[in-house]
Amino acid sequence: MGSGYSMKNLTIQNVSKTYFDPYAGANVTAVHDISLKVNQGEFISIVGPSGCGKTTLLNMIAGFLPISGGSINIDDKPIKGPGADRGVVFQTFALFPWKTVGENVGFGPRMRGLPKKECDQIALEFLSLVGLEHVAQKYPNELSGGMQQRVGVVRALANNPDVLLMDEPFASVDAQTRMTLQEELTKIWQARRPTILFITHDVPESVFLADRVVVLSKGRVLEDMPIQLQRPRVWDQLIEDDTFKGLSAQVLSKVRSA
Amino acid sequence: MSHRLYSAFKFAIPLLVLLLIWEFSIQFFQVNARVFPSIESVYKAGLEAVNDGSIFKHVAASLGRVAVGTLIAIAVSIPLGVAMGLNPIVSDFLSPLFRFFSVLAGIAWIPIATLWFGYGFGAITFVIFNAVFFVVTYNTLLGVASIPMPLRNAAASLGANGWTLLTQVILPGALPNIVTGIRTGLGFAWRGLIAAEMIATNVGLGYMLFLARDFYKTEVIVLGMIIIGLIWLAIDRLILAPVERATIERWGMVRRA
Amino acid sequence: MIFLKAWSFYLRLVAKFPIVQTILPFVPLVIAWALVTEYEVFPRAFLPGPMDVINAFGTLTYKGVLTQYLEDSVVRLAVGAAVGVAIGIPLGLLIGLSDRVREAVWPVLLFFQAIGDIAWLPILLVWFGFSLTTMTLIIVYTVLFPIVLNTSLGVRSVSTDLHRAALSLGASKLRVVWEVVLPGALPNIMTGLRNGLGYGWRALIATEIIVGTSGIGFMMFDARRAGSVVEILLGMVVLGTLWYVVDSWVLAPIERATGKRWGLVTQ
Repeated sequence: MGSGYSMKNLTIQNVSKTYFDPYAGANVTAVHDISLKVNQGEFISIVGPSGCGKTTLLNMIAGFLPISGGSINIDDKPIKGPGADRGVVFQTFALFPWKTVGENVGFGPRMRGLPKKECDQIALEFLSLVGLEHVAQKYPNELSGGMQQRVGVVRALANNPDVLLMDEPFASVDAQTRMTLQEELTKIWQARRPTILFITHDVPESVFLADRVVVLSKGRVLEDMPIQLQRPRVWDQLIEDDTFKGLSAQVLSKVRSA
Repeated sequence: MSHRLYSAFKFAIPLLVLLLIWEFSIQFFQVNARVFPSIESVYKAGLEAVNDGSIFKHVAASLGRVAVGTLIAIAVSIPLGVAMGLNPIVSDFLSPLFRFFSVLAGIAWIPIATLWFGYGFGAITFVIFNAVFFVVTYNTLLGVASIPMPLRNAAASLGANGWTLLTQVILPGALPNIVTGIRTGLGFAWRGLIAAEMIATNVGLGYMLFLARDFYKTEVIVLGMIIIGLIWLAIDRLILAPVERATIERWGMVRRA
Repeated sequence: MIFLKAWSFYLRLVAKFPIVQTILPFVPLVIAWALVTEYEVFPRAFLPGPMDVINAFGTLTYKGVLTQYLEDSVVRLAVGAAVGVAIGIPLGLLIGLSDRVREAVWPVLLFFQAIGDIAWLPILLVWFGFSLTTMTLIIVYTVLFPIVLNTSLGVRSVSTDLHRAALSLGASKLRVVWEVVLPGALPNIMTGLRNGLGYGWRALIATEIIVGTSGIGFMMFDARRAGSVVEILLGMVVLGTLWYVVDSWVLAPIERATGKRWGLVTQ
């Protein structure tokens, strides 16, 4: 995952975001000053209370929002708008309803100009990562929420992005499925080592998944906490683990103090 | 500037630009008055029509017919629609009938209306009545029939019956569809009116337009078109939109098809 | 009890032959019509009976007149609709995609929609006379508005996330329009098409009544001049049936199918 040849690091330098809110009639600063370095293959969680700027940050990295100040670079090259180098997984799944699951996953490869047969093959290969190769011919609205989001994740992965941005991807899914998806995500990550930026407001989730947890507050970085937990991580074990509980408590107190 | 005023202003700008383009094109291309009038001639025609009272005569005739036809139609169709809609068997059975006649709404009735009622007020009002009646009845029927039974049961179990049930549950529940029906019906009615006035009478906006055509008085035609547009905009913004805002949007209801 | 049994029989019949549900309600209507004419409640000259209309149908079809008129009407509608669609969908796309275009064009559109199709007839007559061009232009004008409005609505209803998903998968802005916006707007476009055809059909009849030389509308008006009510009624029946059939059995199912397939709800 990633390119494998060169080190693709994501460098966020003093990024800020200000926009004009017509209802408030004034400028609003969503992000004051954030600097962050994400190394190739790292799994970073970004947590914070509502309004801390985490979604705005993700949208800027993804290229959906312009940056007001500072810079975002991938390997010293500034990002320019959205692109296939930064894949996104959405809270709303955002699967194309009129395309089959296979066509959805093969969308990225198709945009790159690959022939249809190859796209279909790639799609099946990635769908098998999550055990969904048998639904390749189905339409998204025929799948459950959990299955749809799995498709959403592999769709982004199938395009070999330098960075995978995940915007509260499991928030729309029930608690049980969420835990399963979290475990699956870590397994995929261990196998393929993409660089992942995972936004969430769920503190235990952020600790469970990540190498580092970054706590944001009011548009600034409050804390950048490494997570020294063994992998593979499994809920049955960790839920009673003292280190896990301690780390979660630490992060939670930071978030609540914000 | 308040928000409403500002958006009204923003709305007007493209129209003002259009006016400028109109005037400029006439001058630049030396357009013959018989092909398209200049703003000045339309304005003059307007003044003339106001001075000799003809414009009021025509507008009054048109609006009168629409008002009478529409009000009678609504007065008949809503109760009818409610009565039919309450009984699922009746509403299922009669639906195709009303859908069929909704298709014929208005204009298709002009030939037979002139045969039955001769030319003039009667025939035209009949066409308008027609245009509104079938559409509103059908929509009322749909609106009432699609009120979920749990809602009606809930009301009944809270002690509502008869008149209360009707006014507190049925009518409000069907209101989005009724208002949509009225809007559509009124649209048909207005169009049917203009068409009918072109052939079946000697007073009214449609007649004014058609007569002017005979004499190539394009300024009168354009004047008439602008007035027709303004009247419909007025009906839409001053009558229909507020009603829709006060009922559908306020109650956050979704229209059921 | 008997009523319930009859009702249950009816439901089972309808389940097997859905067409019965559509046709059955008209039976009592036709019977009532026949009775009213039989007892001469209105003078025969004002309201002929169903048999008279059927006879006229037979005669006119035999003479080829009805089929010719029908063909004329339908062709005009088709041509007008095709032009309206060719202009309307791209325009709707543009308005839906660009806020600037929307702000510039919307008030103008709304105003012209308010003027209505028929009001353009006199000036079109001045410009093009009693010709096919006049009629086609009226239909194009009528069809245009529902299509533009519904298309732009459909475009705007495509969620931002879908746009962004496509962009982050490497699609260029143009490809996003083709791969995401158009399919996403399709249910609304179908609604616009269906509405547009409905209004177009009515506008066609009105135009034929006022200035036609052939077509169903003309047939009705000509018959009225000759005082022959039968043909007027025939025209109305043909009109209603034709549109009802096309709308319910062709257009509505297509609209439903696109909406359903996408898992979206159509109005």
